[in-house]
Amino acid sequence: MRSPAQDLLETPPYGLAQAEKDAMLSRALTALTRHHHEHCETYRHIVDRVFGGLDRSRSGKLTDMPFLPVSLFKTHELKSVPDSEVIKVLTSSGTSGQSVSRVYLDAETARVQSTVLVKIVQHFLGKDRLPMVILDHAGVVRERKSHSARGAGILGMAQFGRRPFYALREDMSLDEQGLLDYLAAAQGGKILLFGFTFMVWSCFVQALESHGLKLDLSDAVLVHTGGWKRMKDLAVGPKEFRERLQALTGIRSVINFYGMAEQVGGVYFENDLHFLHAPIYSDVVIRDPVTLAPLPDGEVGLIQVLSSLPVSYPGHSILTEDLGVIRGADAAELNMKGRYFEMMGRVPESELRGCSDTFQPVKAAS
Amino acid sequence: MIIDGEFHPMTDALATRVRQLAPVRPGDGLPAFLGAAISRHETPFSERRRAIVGELSARFLKDPWLRRDPASVAVGYWMRPAAIAQLQAAFERRLAAEPATVRVPVGRVFHVAPANVDTLFVYSWVLSYLCGNANVVRVSQQPNEAVQAMLGAIDAVAKEHADLADSNRFVTYEHDDEVTAAFSEWCTHRILWGGNETIAALRPLPLNPHASERVFGSKFSYAVVNLDRYRAAKPEERAKLAAAFFNDLFWFDQMACSSPHVVFWVGGEPGWQEATAEFEDRLQAEVERKRYLPSSANAVHRLVHAFGVAADSDVAVGLAHPGFIGIRIAESEVVDKRICGGGLIRHARIHHLDALAEFASDQDQTVTHYGFERDALNRLAAGIGARGVDRIVPIGEALSFQVNWDGFDLIDDLTRRVTVQASPAERARD
Repeated sequence: MRSPAQDLLETPPYGLAQAEKDAMLSRALTALTRHHHEHCETYRHIVDRVFGGLDRSRSGKLTDMPFLPVSLFKTHELKSVPDSEVIKVLTSSGTSGQSVSRVYLDAETARVQSTVLVKIVQHFLGKDRLPMVILDHAGVVRERKSHSARGAGILGMAQFGRRPFYALREDMSLDEQGLLDYLAAAQGGKILLFGFTFMVWSCFVQALESHGLKLDLSDAVLVHTGGWKRMKDLAVGPKEFRERLQALTGIRSVINFYGMAEQVGGVYFENDLHFLHAPIYSDVVIRDPVTLAPLPDGEVGLIQVLSSLPVSYPGHSILTEDLGVIRGADAAELNMKGRYFEMMGRVPESELRGCSDTFQPVKAAS
Repeated sequence: MIIDGEFHPMTDALATRVRQLAPVRPGDGLPAFLGAAISRHETPFSERRRAIVGELSARFLKDPWLRRDPASVAVGYWMRPAAIAQLQAAFERRLAAEPATVRVPVGRVFHVAPANVDTLFVYSWVLSYLCGNANVVRVSQQPNEAVQAMLGAIDAVAKEHADLADSNRFVTYEHDDEVTAAFSEWCTHRILWGGNETIAALRPLPLNPHASERVFGSKFSYAVVNLDRYRAAKPEERAKLAAAFFNDLFWFDQMACSSPHVVFWVGGEPGWQEATAEFEDRLQAEVERKRYLPSSANAVHRLVHAFGVAADSDVAVGLAHPGFIGIRIAESEVVDKRICGGGLIRHARIHHLDALAEFASDQDQTVTHYGFERDALNRLAAGIGARGVDRIVPIGEALSFQVNWDGFDLIDDLTRRVTVQASPAERARD
């Protein structure tokens, strides 16, 4: 199947007002739901056994689309193309660390994914490839075995920079001299910094603070991603994160983004209001964690992510275990149209504990 | 300190790794307590200990936190004087039936309470205390509010009754084989309230050679409903059944050994879908009446579990009820014993109770029932009891604590029989 997102590649990534987006995504997601129902047996079972088949999704309303919980990508093989067409398998640490999600990409999905990512990133960074400082150590991408979400994330972003410099040593200490030399060579021109939020904080901000070092990054852009859980443990919120960075480096442009390996195309960069903004290829629905009912703007619930991209695996509608709240859409003060939201952290892990998982099969009625 | 001719192994250094939660008495070391406890036992069901348990019951039922928690109220109610008097009467009937023996306490009891059913430690301890023993009770490292409130009450009563303080310690410690080994060598009876992992980890630690042990492994429980009787029942009776099932399901977040996970609807095909739907509507009404709302964490946990079940087996998953998830298992499908918890019910239909014989296994504990006569239940017990099931009780009684637990008589475990035979001369005179 041709990815429905192919039709969007001529449109600017934030160029559709929400009403137009809704109509377009409704068509795309209805088609994808039908496609995966036909081609992925496990997906079909779930749609039939949990959502009562395709009938409800025929309304076309985004909130009526069946969804899969994100953890299911860790426990089940979810694939809508034959093995021979799979060209890449993405893995992620997913939600709870132990098992990994497996995401199967065919040529079509991989191609659209990289095109879409370029469109989104270029909206923020422009078309020139900037000198790039990676706030991590080079080993993360060198060790093929541990090709984690972290390594994949770095490689994904590295295509938008040039002459990548890894600012951390293997022991996660900051290579200050190397960094100063790199910045000197860039001669105050615009540079790109990239890192995972917690490491930017603990290995960069705190290292600079403890060494009393200040840098001039007034013309740089920092892009960072990764959960806020460990930052929450340190009681550091997004605002303090930005302010402390700015105090140390003079950096004005700090952009967080939210995304997950399980959903290609679902990449949400921060807008100028510091909310996460849905591009035209994707959107979010917020659901009550208990009743699963869609919630109005302003109410906190589980984030369901929708994407018009994936044709090789049924990841077009995923219920995450992240909490979020929709903050608005089509704001006049932004040069970006569409809906935006705020991430509020993760649902706490269930403390249900006790008995065994013993498997004791028996026939029911005959 | 000498016990049974040997030094008991709880040293001062080891004791620093144990946190004493109640009774708390400054300057009162654990080694000294364990040593002195050898002589702390008392006649079973002594008046003094019954009075102390009665006082604790009153405090539990008055406590502002505990009185709002139905499972804690059940504990307080179970140990009220009238209920203890019944236990005592049953105990005295045993004594009368065994004229040639004298019942004495088993001595020193080491209880390891489970984390999933937080208040169970009280049942275990009260029975042991009433039987006249000295006790060490290990509770989970993060005692929840109910446990904290109960320990607070025990502490308060211990301030007025030296016997309670002198013969009992409620403690916690990190998993530490040396500490567990020390308590195990001290005690004359060890009770491990599961689950399987805890038992596997602790059981190898040697006991004092004269000690006995009881372990309670992880269990699986389910309900049986007579389909024809349910369909014929009046609306009020169905509403009562839903209220009773609500307690079985939601106390301890459906993670107690006796919490039901599957409802077997017993009877012919017509109407079972409608009956389960009707049953779930009534259960949801009860959820709303009780204003029960699962936590987001539990709601997500059971949702993920339900999707996994739907991916793997022929079922129909119902997400319409916020209180719980109901899953109907297709006729041809096998019913497994996976446990989810937090409000997930699986419905299966079987033709006849006899079909359960195949399903029953060692880990089965409680079968709750509706709509069956005693004869049918006796046949069920004889048929499947040999393969596991220990209790067959009405729906609503799943969580009631019984002295006979997992098929074992706890009073028998917690006492010892001393055989007394009079001299031939005296016997001749009788």
